Amino acid sequence: MRHVRGFDVVRPLSITTLIAIMLPLVLLPLASIFIFGTSKGLGSFWAALTAPEALFALQLSLVTSFWATAFNVLFGLFASYVLSRHNFWGRNAIIVTISLPTAIPTAVAGFALLLLWGPYGTLGRLIAPHGVQIMFTAWAIILANIFVTFPLAFGVIKPVFDTMSRSLEEASATIGATRWQTFWYVTLPSLRGAIVTGALLTFARAVGEFGSTILVSGNLAMRTQTAPLYIFAKFNEGQVEAANAVAIVLALLSFFIFSILFFARDWLDTD
Amino acid sequence: MRPEEITTIFGNDAGGSAPEGERVQAAAAASLRSISKKFKKAVVLEDIDFDMAEGESLVLLGASGSGKTTILRIIAGLEEPDTGRVILHGKDVTELPARERGVGVIFQSYALFPRMTVEKNIGYGLRIRGRSRKEIKKKVDELIELVGLEEHRRKYPSQLSGGQQQRVAIARTLAYKPQVLLFDEPFGALDAQTRVRLRREIRALLKRINVPALFITHDQEEALELGDRIAVLNAGRLEQIGTPDEVYNRPETEYVATFLGAANLLLGVVSRGDVEIGTAIIPAPVETARFREGQAIKLVFRPEDVHISKTGDLPDGCRRLTNGVIEEIRFVGAYERLTLRLDLVARQPSEGEPVLYNVALAGREKRTGVPIVATRPKPEANANLLNVGDRVAVGLTAFRVLANYTLASERSGRMVTR
Repeated sequence: MRHVRGFDVVRPLSITTLIAIMLPLVLLPLASIFIFGTSKGLGSFWAALTAPEALFALQLSLVTSFWATAFNVLFGLFASYVLSRHNFWGRNAIIVTISLPTAIPTAVAGFALLLLWGPYGTLGRLIAPHGVQIMFTAWAIILANIFVTFPLAFGVIKPVFDTMSRSLEEASATIGATRWQTFWYVTLPSLRGAIVTGALLTFARAVGEFGSTILVSGNLAMRTQTAPLYIFAKFNEGQVEAANAVAIVLALLSFFIFSILFFARDWLDTD
Repeated sequence: MRPEEITTIFGNDAGGSAPEGERVQAAAAASLRSISKKFKKAVVLEDIDFDMAEGESLVLLGASGSGKTTILRIIAGLEEPDTGRVILHGKDVTELPARERGVGVIFQSYALFPRMTVEKNIGYGLRIRGRSRKEIKKKVDELIELVGLEEHRRKYPSQLSGGQQQRVAIARTLAYKPQVLLFDEPFGALDAQTRVRLRREIRALLKRINVPALFITHDQEEALELGDRIAVLNAGRLEQIGTPDEVYNRPETEYVATFLGAANLLLGVVSRGDVEIGTAIIPAPVETARFREGQAIKLVFRPEDVHISKTGDLPDGCRRLTNGVIEEIRFVGAYERLTLRLDLVARQPSEGEPVLYNVALAGREKRTGVPIVATRPKPEANANLLNVGDRVAVGLTAFRVLANYTLASERSGRMVTR
């Protein structure tokens, strides 16, 4: 029953309850990294953040995540195109395989990569004699990031491809466009929102990747230590301020990416 | 200018404005030569053959699944025929991909590019041909004015009404001077009022630009209004092609007679220049001339060609068929629609002759006779009031006699109304 007049107690009560539940689970943990990180003043926060090791870790995370994102978005586009335009035997098997990495624990993913590319791995054994080493380098981090974020961009782009009307492409062809022109002027603009969304999701996930990275990178400071690994390492060494400064940056980055996804929803959705 | 030069220009050159007069030539604007198509094992098109003249509007009329959209897609190059040739302005384009044919397709959904404004959509054909900005702008301005969308040039398709979107779709194809325009169910997505207004607009526009147009529709009214000629398609075969007057007033098959407008069908046989329908006889020396004595035929006539008289007097030029009883009278707006039961009783058949109008068709109600539908315009309905149960004389002012090849499978005295 709805109160027509007077004070409706259900409304404020339910909202308060909602926030009360969220407080210890989500809000307070997030708040505490900011509270703790700035408790000794902005000066010490800044010093912790600009330590060469911290800067290197952040930069490595951003760069490796960027390349993993670039690859997965291009691959997602290509895979979506092939899988929604052509029907062939085994098509569903491929779709399932692409989606599989989401269900695999990241530590397992990292381990699997080690077994393949490690110095004694199936493929690693073949390239090692030529002086090529992939594991324990930035390449390994990119490979791990690609693996764990593999289906994200594809998962966003494919549905848009599926629902896109074939007649748009057919219209473009009858007007006289080549396949490439059609893709560039007609198909791609319709995928704009999906591409941006897929890229942001992939990037956000890759920047935070820990489980697989710690196995394949070797966690070498100033060489293969990403930001999450840096947080873990500094925490283990008892340098909580150092860990916290980088944690704040990663948290802010996530807020930022999430805000884009949330507030640019309309722009991303319009077709 | 040689014909091959002309096709090159309209195939590839989108700029400039070639005078329409130069396009007149002996070859038809578009020709289909014995086109056949199967999907898996189902026959979709069988031996389709027709020509479109310069500046002509041809309507492909057929029920859904008759193959009409497949014909359009084959002309556009979006589908390949199994056999047969597609010829545009004298040039065989059967092997050419869609983009090299220079055909304008107006899709049912219009297929406007959602991320481009009206201007960009219209200029697309020139942009991909690498024309200069100045040239594109000039042509786009011209076309926007032609289709009357000056106020909407910077809008996106989603901001336009269905009719406006359709005009953008037409202008978009006109930009590259298409050899032929193909409209796929162009008014399907619009409400009834807009539909009537738009098809008049399009007809006027087509007359102005003088580009041959092929329309696909299942709507007979639309076909009659839009087409210089109508091609009736049934289950992948062309039943008849002709002017609206020809297909409506001189249908060559039962399907054409019943798909375009309402028609009554009676089974009969030819007998000494008359048509014998059971015990009724109607003189038809001209209509039966091409049939042999005793041949089974169908008498086809429109409801509006039935003349009813209580007194038994029929006007000149109206041939008496038989008598009948009025079973139902309904007012349907502009006219009155009557259901009559004709006094048609089976003649004792001679040996080997089919039984026509057997009493069996009377069904449970034990009524004899054959029902037909007649219509009368309002003035006549008001002048000669009729009531249910009245006995009347029934005459026909016009009818067609068609060969009845499928007698065995035919129910006698079938009435078909759409």
